[in-house]
Amino acid sequence: MDSSSRAATHRGRGGITRSRAARLEELQKYLFILPALALFATFVLLPLGSALYFSFTTWDGLRTPEWVGTRNYARAFADTIHVRSYVNVGVYILGTLVVEVAFGLLMAVLLASDRLGFAFMRGLFFSPMVLSMVAAGILWKYVYDYRTGLLNEALRAGGLGDFAHPWLSDPGTAMAGVIVVSGWKYAGFFMIIFLAALRRIPTSLYEAAMLDGATALQRLWHVTLPLLRETTIIAVLLCVTGGFAAFDLFFTMTNGGPFNATEIPTTWIVKQAFDRHNMGYGAALTVIMTVVVGVVSLAYLLATRRRHAVEY
Amino acid sequence: MSTSASATRARRATPATILHYWVAITVVAGMAFPLVWMLYSSLKTNQEIALTPLALPAAFRWQHYVEAWQLGNLGRLYLNSLLVTGVSVTALVMIASLAAYAFARLRFRGRDALFYLLLIGLLLPAQVVIIPLFFLLRDMGLLNTYWALILPYTSWPLALTIYLLRSYYLTLERELEDAARIDGAGLFQTYVFVMFPLVRPALATVVILNLVNLWNELLFALLFIQDEQLRTLPAGLLAFSGYYIVDYRLVFAALSITTVPILVVYFLFQRQVIAGLTTGALD
Repeated sequence: MDSSSRAATHRGRGGITRSRAARLEELQKYLFILPALALFATFVLLPLGSALYFSFTTWDGLRTPEWVGTRNYARAFADTIHVRSYVNVGVYILGTLVVEVAFGLLMAVLLASDRLGFAFMRGLFFSPMVLSMVAAGILWKYVYDYRTGLLNEALRAGGLGDFAHPWLSDPGTAMAGVIVVSGWKYAGFFMIIFLAALRRIPTSLYEAAMLDGATALQRLWHVTLPLLRETTIIAVLLCVTGGFAAFDLFFTMTNGGPFNATEIPTTWIVKQAFDRHNMGYGAALTVIMTVVVGVVSLAYLLATRRRHAVEY
Repeated sequence: MSTSASATRARRATPATILHYWVAITVVAGMAFPLVWMLYSSLKTNQEIALTPLALPAAFRWQHYVEAWQLGNLGRLYLNSLLVTGVSVTALVMIASLAAYAFARLRFRGRDALFYLLLIGLLLPAQVVIIPLFFLLRDMGLLNTYWALILPYTSWPLALTIYLLRSYYLTLERELEDAARIDGAGLFQTYVFVMFPLVRPALATVVILNLVNLWNELLFALLFIQDEQLRTLPAGLLAFSGYYIVDYRLVFAALSITTVPILVVYFLFQRQVIAGLTTGALD
């Protein structure tokens, strides 16, 4: 035991009374982490373990769970809507990489100025971040409304009335509609992240590039972007893992519809578990999601690290 | 980036400067417009909204706010959200700081293993446990009580909060701590009177981060609370918008009531809020 061996060293120095105090203090240290660990074990680890157990059972939430082996997993891979939900979330993630990360980077470059008003514009651009996804989703449902929506009305006012469209009720455009709102909400976050990285780049590099006659665009391409590599890796990772965890916006705006065009794993899990009371099947879907998120993040980190190693 | 180089030329309005302003203002105004539209639409009648969606209100009908406030029970929703997030964030930060200090500075058996165990929580989306968590809370008899939200809200952000606070504790000088120990202060005394006050800047950051995230949380709030009287703002607002979906003026008024105060607080403490929400991604 660590505590006793530590106490022994104290005994050597200070005698019996000192050793008891030391042992007591050794125990005290665990009191610092006890509340955190107790909560974490009860409300994070324990449910995680039970999810794994439930995934091998069939259970309606009322009777006792019945062990069915891997049947839920076989069912998950045959469930076309479930498989499609991963295609959908993949499309969503690719879309958000453009409208959140790439657009955020663009805005960081555009708004990184000390001129009058730019600090205010940065603040305004970031502001949707503090709103709830629910508020954003409800507001944008009205923006997209076919008859009275801001978007279609603006198109009509601009003479583009032919493009007016029931954005969220058309399976062909619903996902794009959700992706745009995601960008509206989160581009400001990625702008700030890239802005912080831009500020860390020493101005001497730009001065050197200018002396070499590099144009603004060349400076952006050859100086700024390579130095934003590390930040971009983190931003992409955050965007991808955040994409898998998406739920609020989809639930608020489309809840998977129309015709499962925006069904993603989380909305499908909630439907299976809380509308259809397939708790065992729902649990299996959550386990699959955990594995997918883990594997994708890990693979991404390894891939970027390897490329990194080759480059230098 | 041409910014720093052109800072000296800022006074002169070159065509490049004008173009820069024009592009920036257009994009940012476009992004902000839906919120402006929400605000002035809340003052229009349903007929005005249906016939001329873009037009400004003919008259300022503030009574829509009174109506939405009463019909949506918005006062109660605000109170519930304040209570749940207030208690959760306070407990979370206290508990996390205590643990973060121990993981950063105290030496005890199993410390690193326990810390890595905790880090599992960083990778997991909360959605993966909703099913067992629902039944755990049911079996504890906590569904439809504030505890059904407070306990998960305190537990789920622990991993990230401890992680962030621990890295801050690691940056603090050891001298003050050692001096207190030599003066005979116990572990808890040293923590409470010496270390905890020093961690305050980082505390502000994690408080803001968790405050915003928990204030806006939907999934747990939706599943663990069915009682309308106990709902938090996101879940209540969603129910309200479903119920009054074609009563545009009421939905816009309710949206304004729930978003404008948050935006005002944001603009007052902009620097701190941005630092809080981007922390973790920046280190």
